[in-house]
Amino acid sequence: MTWLLPALLMIPLIGTGLIALGAPPRKTALIVSLLNLVPGFLLSGVVLRTGEVLFGPQSTQAREVFPIQFTLGLDGLSLPMVWLTLAVTLAAMGVAQEGIKREKEYFICLLLVGLGGLGAFLSVDLFYFFSFHEVALIPSFLLIGIWGQGDRTGAAWRMTLYLMFGSLVLLVGLIGLVMAVPEMVRTLDWRVLTGYLKANPLAPGAQTPLAALLLVGFGTLISLFPFHSWAPGGYASAPAPAAMLHAGVLKKFGLYGLIRLALPLTPLGWKEIGWLIGLMLAANLLYLGLAALQQRDFRWLLGFSSVMHMGTVFLGLIGGTLLGLSGAVVLMVGHGLSAALGFAVAGEIGQRAGTTWMQDLGGLGKKAPKLWFYLTVAAMASIGLPGLANFAGEILIFFGSWSAHPLWVAVAAWGVVLSSIAMLRAVRSMAFGPTSKTVDASGLTDFKGFSETWPYAFLTFLLLVVGIVPGVVLGPIRPVLERFFLP
Amino acid sequence: MTAWFCPEVLLVLSGVGLILLDALAPHGLRKGVSFLALVLSISVFGWAIWSSGQPLPDSWGNLFLTDGIAVVFKPFFVLCLVGVSLVSMRYKLGTEESVRAEFMALPFFATAGLCLLAGARDFLAIFVALELVSISLYLLAAFHRTKPASLEAGMKLLVMGGLSTGFLVMGIAWLYASSGTTEFSKILLQQAGKPASPALLLAAGLILTGLGFKIAAVPFHAWAPDVYEGAPMPTTTFLAVASKAAGFVLLIRIFGLGALALESVAEVFRPILLTMGIATVTLGTLAALPQRNLKRLLAYSGIAHAGYMLLALGTLGEAGMGTVIGYLWAYLLATLPVLVFLNEVERIYQSSDVRHLEGLGRRDPGVALGVTLCFLSMAGLPPLLGFSAKLSVLTTLWSAGEIPGLIVGSIMAVIGLGFYLVPIRAMYWEREADVIPAVRFPSFLVWVVLLAGFLNLILGLQPKPIIRLVERTLAPSLVLSPKPNP
Repeated sequence: MTWLLPALLMIPLIGTGLIALGAPPRKTALIVSLLNLVPGFLLSGVVLRTGEVLFGPQSTQAREVFPIQFTLGLDGLSLPMVWLTLAVTLAAMGVAQEGIKREKEYFICLLLVGLGGLGAFLSVDLFYFFSFHEVALIPSFLLIGIWGQGDRTGAAWRMTLYLMFGSLVLLVGLIGLVMAVPEMVRTLDWRVLTGYLKANPLAPGAQTPLAALLLVGFGTLISLFPFHSWAPGGYASAPAPAAMLHAGVLKKFGLYGLIRLALPLTPLGWKEIGWLIGLMLAANLLYLGLAALQQRDFRWLLGFSSVMHMGTVFLGLIGGTLLGLSGAVVLMVGHGLSAALGFAVAGEIGQRAGTTWMQDLGGLGKKAPKLWFYLTVAAMASIGLPGLANFAGEILIFFGSWSAHPLWVAVAAWGVVLSSIAMLRAVRSMAFGPTSKTVDASGLTDFKGFSETWPYAFLTFLLLVVGIVPGVVLGPIRPVLERFFLP
Repeated sequence: MTAWFCPEVLLVLSGVGLILLDALAPHGLRKGVSFLALVLSISVFGWAIWSSGQPLPDSWGNLFLTDGIAVVFKPFFVLCLVGVSLVSMRYKLGTEESVRAEFMALPFFATAGLCLLAGARDFLAIFVALELVSISLYLLAAFHRTKPASLEAGMKLLVMGGLSTGFLVMGIAWLYASSGTTEFSKILLQQAGKPASPALLLAAGLILTGLGFKIAAVPFHAWAPDVYEGAPMPTTTFLAVASKAAGFVLLIRIFGLGALALESVAEVFRPILLTMGIATVTLGTLAALPQRNLKRLLAYSGIAHAGYMLLALGTLGEAGMGTVIGYLWAYLLATLPVLVFLNEVERIYQSSDVRHLEGLGRRDPGVALGVTLCFLSMAGLPPLLGFSAKLSVLTTLWSAGEIPGLIVGSIMAVIGLGFYLVPIRAMYWEREADVIPAVRFPSFLVWVVLLAGFLNLILGLQPKPIIRLVERTLAPSLVLSPKPNP
């Protein structure tokens, strides 16, 4: 069964090749994304039964100058992330329109962004873990630059250079982590690395700088305050499917890396700088929450609100309990799905009404009830309405972090309030009230038929599943987290 | 007897043969001189790989050795020659068309000099070989006798090259004065364990200055952009790739593993090399940002790359040498195809301004993809080969504890993306294709550039072959094992 792991990467790759050679772009991208669910399903079964699937050479004792090995692996922690990627990629391909200019390149770029995320979550070797994430960098640059809106040039440059900066800080941190291990057992395989460093922890003095480097590196990719300023504008300018993939999937790479590497390998350093992270996450929630309140453009609002929720995830990470960490993973999944849904809806509104300025919209609820429904689902998920995935994650985080950081939990509760105000105001001004002139003039129509609705229904369905039965995420991740964080 | 069929001899013979062909052969045959040069360079490349490891003729005395560096870098330089011949063949000489044979032949002589350099174990050999390279290059840079830019380039190269040779000779003289010999192993043997005398340090400083010009390291870099821009494209190609690599091979030979690989010298020169590296990376990267002429952009990018290599070299450990060698291969594989591409751009538009690339992504997707991959590899973006090269620079710096170099190197790698993305942006997103004249590139270009691009990608995903090559270059049994005296 292990060959299914490379198949997960090969299928989108073959898709890009076919599109480049002239296959119909959207159809191919859709088929490829749908087809990729098959190995996804099969592998889930294996992981749930055996706990882990590995492909490729296992870490050998033969010393190499540069010990990289193309090893793929899937365990309980990467499983939800892989599923998130598969689901959001499929939905993004569904949302992406046919007949856009330079369609071929558009879908190739989108598939490559998804492929980068998938590869990063599947990689066991740090070299490939890092490389796959970077694969998405240039396609994102082109996606925003060619097909974006608003200040697309500025947004594309800012995002690309910012992410490159974060990646290089991260790279230095990873080099430090690997170099901290004595040469005889040095490896880039994080499974071996975790095992070794758990048995022989680093000196506290060495852990703090490494934890700080990893925090800044991953933090920039996650858009943690004050390294966030690439994110809202980037998402606002990106075409909807690109924003879905980026906010929904790629951002989770940083969080995944923190849970996978930074927290278990440098626990003492992490404690040392905990106060700093607390301040940063408070700024994420309050400062960016207030900034979200000021937005007049729905895309920008979504951008800010998506950035601000990263603060809540961080709260779960520094809580130091399994409960909080599990909550963080659930919220990662929930946020990925809800952000994807939100950006998809915003793209659709922009497409159909010609604007996403909230004051120019109004009466969507009457004109387009289906669109209104999914808009409300996205908003409610983002607020944290019980029954949707985000709520499950947030509540676990709050409970899990209360004992260690009651102050930050209180701050985070205010973040929920700010987010509710912002989202509810947005929904009110867009969906209710009299139909605005712009909406009237645009001749706005609702979704027609299954072919237009299914991506939204699909994401909503997943949000409900994870919200009502969070066990689908909590079950697989539990053994991994226990292995990492329990003595 | 077979020892006489070494790449150096074959290269000189080919060069002489090309000139003779031009002088003696009937007119019809002369037209084929370019193609013949390309075929000859490829054949010598094949032979250089086939016969690698074979010692040089005994009668050449103790001036040369056949160690890992010589074995690996001779094919490296001949591969550069293949690229240069390809560029020369497609290069329009204009009024100088009548002396094309010389234009094709001179790089052969220069490459022969480089191959000799790769195996030199004596400063005398180094000096003679370097002059063979330099004089050929002066001629090549000023080849357009009627074009001011080309003459200016030739003049600058001549003055700067002369100056650098002066420093080098002075350094060699001081070295001879302080140790009584010019042979690497004897100097090493004599000075080992002793504190470095001021004369020795002065000699090392002068030699470093001389080589600093060759690799265009700050503060000896100012000639590079003007010469790259003004000189004919093949000369630029030679300077950008082969000449720079030769400078680093010499630095490795002299400071890293050879004559002056002494702890007493290293103590003084480690901070100097690292400071030079930091300055070179910073200046190269920042000065490249506003460039819109791709030749100048490549010149500054080359300066920045020299800086990264200097940073790795500056740690003066074996890991650093390995890093530089790997980096040189990555640099060759990314830069050479871009120069071949630029030659075609210049052939069509008479300039290498970045705006000529606009819309290339739609006009010629294959070429655009290949060039993009090469530029991204230069930028050091994973999963391309350039990333592995930069990664090993950073790793080397981290394990040597050189934190300032590490910080500057990482920051500049980010800023570097700012100018490597300029051509990519132009190719893919600037204007729509309909406003761009439909100029087609020759079909061979697609294959060359795509092949190189995918080579960068594949070697980036699986850098084992390059690592093997580096290991072979530095194989301990080969490095500096003095040839038994006859």
